[in-house]
Amino acid sequence: MFGDLRRFDTGPSRGVDWFRQLMDEMFPETGAADIRSVPRGSYPMINIGRTDDAVCVYVFAAGLAPEALDVSIQDNVLTVRGQRPEAAPEGTAGEPSAYFRRERAGGEFLRTVALPDGLDADRAEARCRNGVVEIHLPKREELKPRRIAIQATQS
Amino acid sequence: MNEVTRQETRQQPTTRDERREALEQALLPPVDIYEADNALHLLVDMPGVTRDSLSIEVDNNVLSLEGRIELDMPEGMSAIYAEVRAQRFARRFTLSHEIDSEAIAARIDNGVVHVTLPKKQSHHRRRIEVKAA
Repeated sequence: MFGDLRRFDTGPSRGVDWFRQLMDEMFPETGAADIRSVPRGSYPMINIGRTDDAVCVYVFAAGLAPEALDVSIQDNVLTVRGQRPEAAPEGTAGEPSAYFRRERAGGEFLRTVALPDGLDADRAEARCRNGVVEIHLPKREELKPRRIAIQATQS
Repeated sequence: MNEVTRQETRQQPTTRDERREALEQALLPPVDIYEADNALHLLVDMPGVTRDSLSIEVDNNVLSLEGRIELDMPEGMSAIYAEVRAQRFARRFTLSHEIDSEAIAARIDNGVVHVTLPKKQSHHRRRIEVKAA
């Protein structure tokens, strides 16, 4: 029953890469994945990374116009909602007379992702490039890691 | 119907070398294939792939599409959650002899690759006129 939560994990035969390595380093065989995880191949796929001062969400939404995507944050839950036209063969005259393969997703989609605490949603920015939407969510000032200066004391 | 068929065969790796090879495997991008205007059209989803990081080759009637995912990532980023766990997309197709491989054209727009594979003149669809007797 709980094995279902790990269904997007397809084992060691999937390409190794920096993201995978990082994941394995950080979570060596942790058991259950996120409860919001989805089967592999869902559209759009989402990666989340963290730096010292921000959390970045990458939405792999190929062929999606920026205005067709709606990103919102409420109570630390990020919702990505949008619509991709069903295989619109723009730029080609004439109707497709036959489809031999249809694997690309079309239609409406909605995905929600839980984010870590302490993000400043008011300063969030989203950019779209090459079919990837990058959502940059800065951490709140008081939660950023701080360097503490060590003062020498005269003895 | 068999003008374009998927070519790859994926096997479970057995030896260590094979496994290492498998680890370098790429993501399989979803693709739409349809026919229009005496040509076959391929639409391939490759988000994050740029014009420069995409390579399309035709060799011995095999069309290979490969693209590296170029993400603009800040230094020192660590992953919290990842569904895309490879850095490249790759897919191969076998072309039939009807395709004019000299005239293949491709463009990439917002992460979607559109490949046009025109048929040779001799294989174009013809309309046959029905004459009155």
